[in-house]
Amino acid sequence: MPPRLRICPQCYHLLKHQPTSYRYLATASAITPAAPPFQTISSPPPIARFPRTQPPSHKPPEFRKSQLHRQYTSLLRSTPLLLLFQHNNLKATEWMSIRRELQFALEKVDNDLSTNLAPAIKIQTIQVGIFESALLVAEYFDPKQHRTASKPHPTDPSTQSSVSLANHTPTPADPTFRHYLSRTAHAAASPYKESHPLRPLLSGPLAAMSFPTVTPQHMRAALSILAPKAPTFPAPTRRANPGYHDATVQQGLQKLMLLGARVEGKVFDNEGARWVGGIQGGMEGLRGQLVRILGEVGAGVTGALEGMGRSLWVTVEARRSMLEEEEKGTSGGSNEGLANKGKEHSIGLWSVIWGRNPNR
Amino acid sequence: MITKHITEVTSRFNPFTKPSKTCRVFLAHLPANARNTMKINTTVLERNSQEPSFLKLKFKDGKEMQLDTEKLKINDVVEEVDRHSRVLNRQADLTGN
Repeated sequence: MPPRLRICPQCYHLLKHQPTSYRYLATASAITPAAPPFQTISSPPPIARFPRTQPPSHKPPEFRKSQLHRQYTSLLRSTPLLLLFQHNNLKATEWMSIRRELQFALEKVDNDLSTNLAPAIKIQTIQVGIFESALLVAEYFDPKQHRTASKPHPTDPSTQSSVSLANHTPTPADPTFRHYLSRTAHAAASPYKESHPLRPLLSGPLAAMSFPTVTPQHMRAALSILAPKAPTFPAPTRRANPGYHDATVQQGLQKLMLLGARVEGKVFDNEGARWVGGIQGGMEGLRGQLVRILGEVGAGVTGALEGMGRSLWVTVEARRSMLEEEEKGTSGGSNEGLANKGKEHSIGLWSVIWGRNPNR
Repeated sequence: MITKHITEVTSRFNPFTKPSKTCRVFLAHLPANARNTMKINTTVLERNSQEPSFLKLKFKDGKEMQLDTEKLKINDVVEEVDRHSRVLNRQADLTGN
């Protein structure tokens, strides 16, 4: 292409120094090499297009259901003990009064055990479809088993702007995203959708009661309020707790049904939940029972192993006392006779020890 | 669903089976004050139970309705109940009550 600025023919002699300047330019370009051609076409931007705390997700994060999903996943990860109830059209006042009674009962248990778990134990209605998805993600997706994000991270201030980074474009399909709303989590959890044992329960209106630890005492108190069943879970008497027998509480409780429980990842039915709640003395009691059973087994094994040695010792000891008595009885005999007798006795003793017949 | 003619509901189901959904959703369809107007007996079976779920209804005119929830979905149940309830509605309209 001809130069746009025309140079007048008289000025050509002024451009004689130009080759040297080109040489300088060539050395300069050798020090800092130009970017490879593919980078000039599609180079990854060194700055992430999303904040570190808000990575792109499978579902738009601004939706309520996405946030509920996060909330349920976090709940399921953190709570080892979850009770599931069906609630059939409870009114707000009924919920309120049931929660009040529950709080009283749990605080009472807290006072007895000197713990502070009552504020963390709560019953809430759940969105069943979202809860089901969150349950699968919480159980079958482990972020540690998936690929880590690129390093250095684009939002790290020490990352230079010229550094070449792995893919960090804001597409949710990027496998380096490992949060619970990511597409990776969804793909990891979705194959188990049909096979989860809690799945048949997850339909209709459900309420979940979550406990921060496995505490059978608190669970028993909660079940005796929400689903009383004598004799293990008796409802509080009218004298002990008149508020429990209010019309609103009783009408609300008639509409709550205990369906099942999830204890440390295992699914229990109605009776199984009551069995967990009925453990006497709580987890400490259970550990005590286990220690006692193991101790009994140990004592039995020691007794069985000890038995043979002990019986041998008893036999030998009996034989020795018998010999001593015989010696006392025959103390007037000759020395030779005694020596012979002693030899015979020693043979007899060894045969007893080895279980042989001395006359053979 | 028209529930004002129902006087008694008896249901039994194992919540860990798929057909129990019909029973459970039917119970959720009953209004908040249903316990004041009808008698509701619910039995929740244990997990390993093989007993089939069922739903039994009684109406004001004495009709008993046994619904096989193993086969019927909730829409079918609602349809059955409404079919009879509409008849009762019509009778009530005609008698002027």
